[in-house]
Amino acid sequence: MSTEDPALGEREPQNMSREELARLADEFGDTTVVAKPPKWPIPATKAEKRAERSVALWFILSALSAIAFVVTFSVWPDAYVSPFQDGYLWYKLYTPVVGSTFAIAMLSLGIGLILYIHRFFPDEVAVQERHDGPSDELARKTVAAQYKEAGDDVGIPRRSLIMRTALGAAGLFGVAAGVLAIGPFVRQPWKGGDQAPLWITGWKPLSGETVYLRLKTSVVGEIVRVRPEDMKPGAMLTVFPFRESDRGHEELLVAAEHASDSPVMLIRLPPGTTVHKRPGQENFNYGDFYAFSKVCTHLGCPASLYDSQNHISLCPCHQSEFLITDSAKPVFGPATRALPQLPITVNEEGLFVARGDFIEPIGPAFWEIRARKQ
Amino acid sequence: MDSTTRTPRASAVSRRWRLPGKLRRRLVAALALTIGLFMTGALYLVLAPRPQIATAEAATQADPAQIAHGEQLYNNACITCHGTNLQGVQGRGPSLIGAGEAAVYFQVSTGRMPLAREQAEGYRKAPVPELDPDTAEGRQNLQALAAYVQAHGGGPQLPAERGTALIGDDPAKGADAFRLNCASCHSFVGRGGALTRGKYAPILNHATPEQVYAAMLTGPSAMPTFSDRSLTPGEKKDIIAYLLSVRGQRNSPGGYNLGNIGPSAEGMTAFVLGMVALVGITVWLGAKS
Repeated sequence: MSTEDPALGEREPQNMSREELARLADEFGDTTVVAKPPKWPIPATKAEKRAERSVALWFILSALSAIAFVVTFSVWPDAYVSPFQDGYLWYKLYTPVVGSTFAIAMLSLGIGLILYIHRFFPDEVAVQERHDGPSDELARKTVAAQYKEAGDDVGIPRRSLIMRTALGAAGLFGVAAGVLAIGPFVRQPWKGGDQAPLWITGWKPLSGETVYLRLKTSVVGEIVRVRPEDMKPGAMLTVFPFRESDRGHEELLVAAEHASDSPVMLIRLPPGTTVHKRPGQENFNYGDFYAFSKVCTHLGCPASLYDSQNHISLCPCHQSEFLITDSAKPVFGPATRALPQLPITVNEEGLFVARGDFIEPIGPAFWEIRARKQ
Repeated sequence: MDSTTRTPRASAVSRRWRLPGKLRRRLVAALALTIGLFMTGALYLVLAPRPQIATAEAATQADPAQIAHGEQLYNNACITCHGTNLQGVQGRGPSLIGAGEAAVYFQVSTGRMPLAREQAEGYRKAPVPELDPDTAEGRQNLQALAAYVQAHGGGPQLPAERGTALIGDDPAKGADAFRLNCASCHSFVGRGGALTRGKYAPILNHATPEQVYAAMLTGPSAMPTFSDRSLTPGEKKDIIAYLLSVRGQRNSPGGYNLGNIGPSAEGMTAFVLGMVALVGITVWLGAKS
């Protein structure tokens, strides 16, 4: 097409100046440069020098900040220091210093670039022809013919074996990728039947071993079991299951603390509190001590904002309220099921033990929740 | 006279001792039972575990004059709601029998008591001048009032330590205990939050170590109690250390904590500042020089 272009005329490109070649390129793209006034018509004025220096200054600032970032990031002390210890100021400054040096490096680089564009790029005014609608008939036909010819040349329509196997391979690879993406979401929640994870919790006695109520302390692996005399009336503690066989196995102890179905609120009501117990759970408490799952039956947040005067446990996520003295029945908010109660007693050593697992699933409801075989 | 009375009595005793059968057996049995009961009691005293419930021991040691002074203060300021002899008034104020000196210290020194008006929960305000723990006279009055309440039914007592002695060494451990036991209501850095029925968990910014300790011991208002066996004194002190370590702008590595009220404030700040900055940069980018 270009050989037909009238703009070329008789002149040969190898004889043209750089400026003429650039205009020619504009014309190929149907563009005309209307005006291109130079930014600094008189070269090497004081103002130009100043503009140059100001741009360079930003780049230098960026470079210095980048160096400062690398240095502070590598050598600044970043180990935690409490506010009561020496060196807290240095620790406190770590994040701001590292963050600000990095930010200044990046920002100055950007500012320098934009400033360079503003100060030195010409304010060119150009007009470009706008092309409307589809290409003309001839162009469309020729391009279509090109594609068809290319197809014939590589022989796809004739080599059906290659085409079919290629399609099959690509399709199956797509399936494989899909399985990879979706596979982890496909679970069989009912593996184990009656012992499926949704039905049982960490409180279920395994092979007849006693399950104690254990306090979590700030010392990993420390075992503190709860006794009735540990709590005063109006006290509430969060307890976790503990088996003697877990003793000394830090990972098992931590796993029991971290299991989402384990946390239980152990509450000691003031003596003489009127309590309405659910039928079938009359002996789940031990005196004034009541144990309820901490997991909200609405969406599983810890519903442990316990009001020791009104005996209401509040869930902070959606404001479900459970009346502890009415077997943790929901009295406000979106929850519809009472918090499951853990049957507890005190053994001959005077330690709290669970008499068994919860008799109903804990936490949010699911389709099959009523379908459990008792 | 002596000789005349002695002979018949002696003869009666000797006759009784000579009594065979029923009476004698009964006497011996009664004696054995008494000794047995006494021994059981003594054994129990020796072997039984110490109860963790604070007793009125200290109160009995308190100065009667101090208690009398406390009673006077009580009758002036508290009796309207808490009734004569700390029995409480139905519908107005609870009984204070067994409330203990720690509860008195917490409620009065934080200004919650005397209550400004009847409401779901008292709020922190300046303590009344005559009971202000920061003045010598107020401290004395407060001690007297606490001793008076302590003398009636005992209750939780403040530890002997005061001030900096109540600040533990390990704020990190305290943070652990705080997150497990306190953070559900007081939020992660003690900024408090709303509860049920018009109650709230207060902001812990202004609480002194003594007040935090007393609150854990006594469980004021809706708060559960934490006896020394469920949170050891060491853990309580570490919790206090943690609270002090996150107060003000401490432990806010970003430089400013925005009130520590969570992602809403942070998101809002980032959005507003970020938007202004983006618009400014865009305008500058497009500007002709």
